[in-house]
Amino acid sequence: MPFFSTEMSIETLQLLVPLVPFIGAVATIILGRVLGSKAHIPAIASIAIAAAAALVLLAVEVERVREGTTVESAARPDESIVTLWQWAGVESDPVDHNANQVAARPFSIDVTLRLDPLTATMLSLVTCVGLLVAIYSIGYMHDDPGYPRFFALVAMFVFSMTMLVAASNFLIVYVFWEAVGACSYLLIGFWFQKPDAARAAKKAFLVNRIGDFGFAVALFLLFVTYGTLDFHDSLSPNGTILPGILGKTRLMDESGIIGGAIGTAVCLLLLLAACGKSAQLPLHVWLPDAMEGPTPASALIHAATMVTAGVYLITRTAPLFVACPGALVVVSIVGASTAMVAALIATVQNDLKRVLAYSTISQLGYMFASLGTGLALGFTAAIFHLMTHAFFKALLFLGAGSVMHSMGGVIDMRRFGGLRKVMPITAITFLCGSLALAGVAPFAGFFSKDEILTALRTKGWPDTAHHSSHESHAMTGLIAPRMHLTSSVESVTNVDAFPASLEALNTPFVWQILWWMSLITAGLTAFYTFRAFFMTFTGPTRVPHEAGHHAHESPPTMTGPLVLLAIASGVSGIWIFGTQSLSLFLASTPSLAAPSVAGTAVPHVFHLDLAVQGTLASLLGISIAAIAHLGRRSDGPHIERFLGPVGTLFENKFYIDLIYVFVVVRPLEFIARLLAFFDSSVLDGLVDAVGRVPFSLGRVLRSLQSGLLQRYAVAGVVGVLALVLALVWQLRG
Amino acid sequence: MTSFDLTPATHLLLVLATPIVGSLLVWVLGARGRSAVRQSAVVTAVVTLVLTGWLILRYLNSPEAAVGAPYAVVQVPWLVDGALDIQFSLGLDGLSLWIFGLSALLSLTAVLVSWQSIKERSVGFYMLLLILETAMLGVFTARDVVLFYVFFEFTLVPLFFLIGIWGHEDRRRAAAKFFIYTLAGSVFTFIGLLSVVLWNASHSGILSFDIDTLTAGLAAHPIPMTAESGWLQMWIFCALLAGFAVKVPIVPLHTWLPLAHVEAPTGGSVDLAGVLLKIGMYGFLRFSLPMLPDAAAVAAPWLVSLGVVGIVYGALVAIAQRDLKRLIAFSSVSHMGYCVMGLFALDALAIEGANLQLINHGLSSAGLFALVGMIYERYHTRSIVNLGGIASKAPWLTVLFMLFTFSSIGLPGLNGFVGEFMILIGMFQRSFRGAPLHWETLYLVMSLAAVAGVVLGAWYMLWAVERVFFGAERGSSGLSSGSQASLQKDPHGFTAIDDLRWWEWGALAPLAFFVVWIGITPQTFLAPSSSAVRSATRASCDVFDARVKASQKTFSESVTTRTDSVFPSASSHETQNISNLFFSSRHSLLLTGPRMIPSDQLTRIVSP
Repeated sequence: MPFFSTEMSIETLQLLVPLVPFIGAVATIILGRVLGSKAHIPAIASIAIAAAAALVLLAVEVERVREGTTVESAARPDESIVTLWQWAGVESDPVDHNANQVAARPFSIDVTLRLDPLTATMLSLVTCVGLLVAIYSIGYMHDDPGYPRFFALVAMFVFSMTMLVAASNFLIVYVFWEAVGACSYLLIGFWFQKPDAARAAKKAFLVNRIGDFGFAVALFLLFVTYGTLDFHDSLSPNGTILPGILGKTRLMDESGIIGGAIGTAVCLLLLLAACGKSAQLPLHVWLPDAMEGPTPASALIHAATMVTAGVYLITRTAPLFVACPGALVVVSIVGASTAMVAALIATVQNDLKRVLAYSTISQLGYMFASLGTGLALGFTAAIFHLMTHAFFKALLFLGAGSVMHSMGGVIDMRRFGGLRKVMPITAITFLCGSLALAGVAPFAGFFSKDEILTALRTKGWPDTAHHSSHESHAMTGLIAPRMHLTSSVESVTNVDAFPASLEALNTPFVWQILWWMSLITAGLTAFYTFRAFFMTFTGPTRVPHEAGHHAHESPPTMTGPLVLLAIASGVSGIWIFGTQSLSLFLASTPSLAAPSVAGTAVPHVFHLDLAVQGTLASLLGISIAAIAHLGRRSDGPHIERFLGPVGTLFENKFYIDLIYVFVVVRPLEFIARLLAFFDSSVLDGLVDAVGRVPFSLGRVLRSLQSGLLQRYAVAGVVGVLALVLALVWQLRG
Repeated sequence: MTSFDLTPATHLLLVLATPIVGSLLVWVLGARGRSAVRQSAVVTAVVTLVLTGWLILRYLNSPEAAVGAPYAVVQVPWLVDGALDIQFSLGLDGLSLWIFGLSALLSLTAVLVSWQSIKERSVGFYMLLLILETAMLGVFTARDVVLFYVFFEFTLVPLFFLIGIWGHEDRRRAAAKFFIYTLAGSVFTFIGLLSVVLWNASHSGILSFDIDTLTAGLAAHPIPMTAESGWLQMWIFCALLAGFAVKVPIVPLHTWLPLAHVEAPTGGSVDLAGVLLKIGMYGFLRFSLPMLPDAAAVAAPWLVSLGVVGIVYGALVAIAQRDLKRLIAFSSVSHMGYCVMGLFALDALAIEGANLQLINHGLSSAGLFALVGMIYERYHTRSIVNLGGIASKAPWLTVLFMLFTFSSIGLPGLNGFVGEFMILIGMFQRSFRGAPLHWETLYLVMSLAAVAGVVLGAWYMLWAVERVFFGAERGSSGLSSGSQASLQKDPHGFTAIDDLRWWEWGALAPLAFFVVWIGITPQTFLAPSSSAVRSATRASCDVFDARVKASQKTFSESVTTRTDSVFPSASSHETQNISNLFFSSRHSLLLTGPRMIPSDQLTRIVSP
């Protein structure tokens, strides 16, 4: 890339990717009324420019990595950092702290953008999917009174999300972590007149706040442990290298990352944050409700991009997790459980968007399960699945939106059916998405899911696995303890009991269970996906009365993105899997090039037995769905009725929402009311009682108030004399 | 500036004099009717703000700014007689810089939000508001104890009348309670300040009331903090605390605040929440910490605890509120808890965060109170359950309310986050660097509770936003027919539910501007006050650190003796190593509680 070979222009591009959508958002806010029905122009133009810039950056990164592979090993870390401005800084006092004390650190936060393979991948994904969704929204949102507001928010979201994945500092990541949450809040509550939408928006924000609590505390712990919040190494004014938390200096040093109790606590708190944003158990409750927002927003934010921020975060902080095997196994347990629970709930939902919402939760659980393996394969598989999922889930959501658009806003699958004749393009593209989600070869989901299952199996059957996985297992086992043995803050103390109790879970048996859960989930996924597909598109054609007489295929601005996404869902998997380009590329990300992560890398092999197992599970699910729903009326009796009380459990989402209400919300409100009563009656009453004392005293003293001016004057003089005497006495002493 | 050169000192005097002149102007123009009165008040406030902004810019470009030294010093002998030395002494420094600017900014907001709502006796109203402005500007620039106290008390009087005359239904009780409560506290403060002066005089021989002289004098001859002297420094600290704690307010001395806010006219609420609450914190920074560091260090853990209690308590009580203004008043209690916690964490990061948070809270709470007033003017109710769906009628009002809400709940990218985050990270750092004996685990618990307060804060604010702005429109049906009729009769009032008018934009836009600006580049605002804040608090921090070190030594001895009793044979060299081990990993110990070490784990340590 000769044109972009200079560092300057690359830095400019790094800056352009977030900046242009920001300008687009501001322009839409200012010009929205003037542009009217053309209010999408600034937003779409800006996202398109950002997408182009992101793709160029991706190409630049690919080129760099390729050069790196020829020069050195495949795992040569690569990053470039642009510092924009100092956000905040506080010098530390030169306190003479002894060895017993943790020193106060200078606090300096710069707004920095980074570029590495992981960031480049995420930037391209966010901007490209964002662009397609924005184009789709021209058709979907037309005639909406909030048309300009919608596009302003989408552009704002793209800005925040690109900053989130490009920031090179934990604090700045946190800033945009909440910023995307705020965009999500505003988009869920887009139709604020609907009380349900307003409530769902609030719920999403609050549940995310619980996750953010974890993120904030994790940041504080990281700061007191490492004395910085930067990812990258930086140069101090006097020329010494200040190692960042995820900088090359620390990553290449075996004892650079701190494990043990502090490390595990940090990882678990980051996991809490990721659970909030990525809707994992037990903080998943906001995502299904978030479907109150406009469907394109659901596709972009609540399926393809924002909810994957948790996966991004854990991948970015992979070295921290790998140093804490106890925390890693928790990540997988959370992920696999979420995947299974959400898939079970999805099997009985009748709202098409909710099926997809639970499916998103379930697929994110897959990614978490993969991350928790702590293998290089696990991390790249999670990002691989993140990508393919972004394509096919955005496709499915947009397809659902197309259905909803045509059905006059009805989304209950029991009320329509056989739509393949009414809207053929939507039906075919939806089928592509369903096949990808169900994991049928050669669609994308098959390959990414296969890699996840491989990663899990490597952990579950370390000896029977085919390659050097035994060695890699030993690597994680060896490096991690050494890390916290030699670390500066951690030592052999009683506190190892806490991570050790978690590490006890890190046995092949647990991983075998997780592998089986994932396989069963694959079957369930295929079932609910095709259940939805059959209910919506097959059987006798039925259209609800809300649709009127104009039930029709959606306009080209909507079907165009559908077709593009369908193609991506079709070919991206086999291409990436076949060439292994993604995992080789990502391996140059500093976090994944750390020896503790890269050491677990294994040569890429296609496992026929796993592929067969995965495919069998999918086909079984599809078959059951076909038996139950193919060609039938969607409002007819279904096999789900055989589930009995279990079905009720699924329909009520395992009563998790109710548990929250009765365990958290109600008690807190009760305490709040109690305290408010205490405040206004007891505390304030006490103040009033004290306030009455002078008045009662006054009644006693009233006799002194004779009204004689002379007497007052005498009293005044005596008082002043006393004061002066006191002063003089003080001065003498 | 060729013909005359405006010296900084004259400039400062001009800033202080302008509102007084303006209030006279208001009085003179009073006969010409309401519009002349309010126009002249607005012009006065704008002129003062411009002069203030200009002065701040001059300060930032002056050599004094680099070290936070006093600037624009006005010094006129006032009562100088023999040993007595009271000066009329004003000046601006790093400590007062931003709060000084905030006072001028919020005064304009206060004047503008009253544009429509004050219909009766407007001459008196605007005069008092402008006098209050001078008093506020004076409090923060006074460099003499007596002058400070005069201005301090003088902020009470105008506000007492503003609440008592132009307030809502229960205004008299609110005004009386506010006045008596604050006055009662400030009497103790005055006694405390006098004691400081007397102590200094006993060494220097001059009854100097100059704050800098006092600070230097007390640093040279600290007030004794020993049992023999009867803990004199602690008593004086408590005396100062009495007044400042009521002002802040620190829970449980806060009960005047919700009442005063609910009953105050909007303009009064804006000044009260935005500036007057900050005087307490300013007092800590100006007097308590630099002058009484030993007592401050001893009291710090208790005040941190009260701060955390305030954070959680204020947030929980706010959840139960049904009156929008009361809810925001309790959110103020919660947010001032962060400031108190940050200041008394005695950690550089937390202190600077607290100092910035004063400004942040001033901006966001003033904005929210102003907006509540605007809602009240339109719907004649503040009841959260009776309002609803305002977003459909007044989108810009909603946008601004949400902006200030986001600022208040600490959304990153806006100002509230910066202060809150720095306070919390400083508090964590403090609890890891160690706290005095018996407080170590508690400090970590309190840090976590304070972070949890952030979640609660989002809860009540977003609940209110959801009820008031979203959903179907409710407010108009909540109106009684009488008030609806009065709504239509009023020729200048809102005949329909309008979006923001120009004066409302004028009141809110500057606040919104700073909310965003501080959020994006907080360093711009942190840097100028940094060195002044640090030098004011350094003594207290050092004493606190020394106490921590001392208590760690005691702790290490107690561990040694305990280990000796468990392993009588262990050599002293070995036990020394053990205690070192504990402290090199002191923050991992915190997670489990340092004084709960079972003997079997000691065995593990001793036998490698």
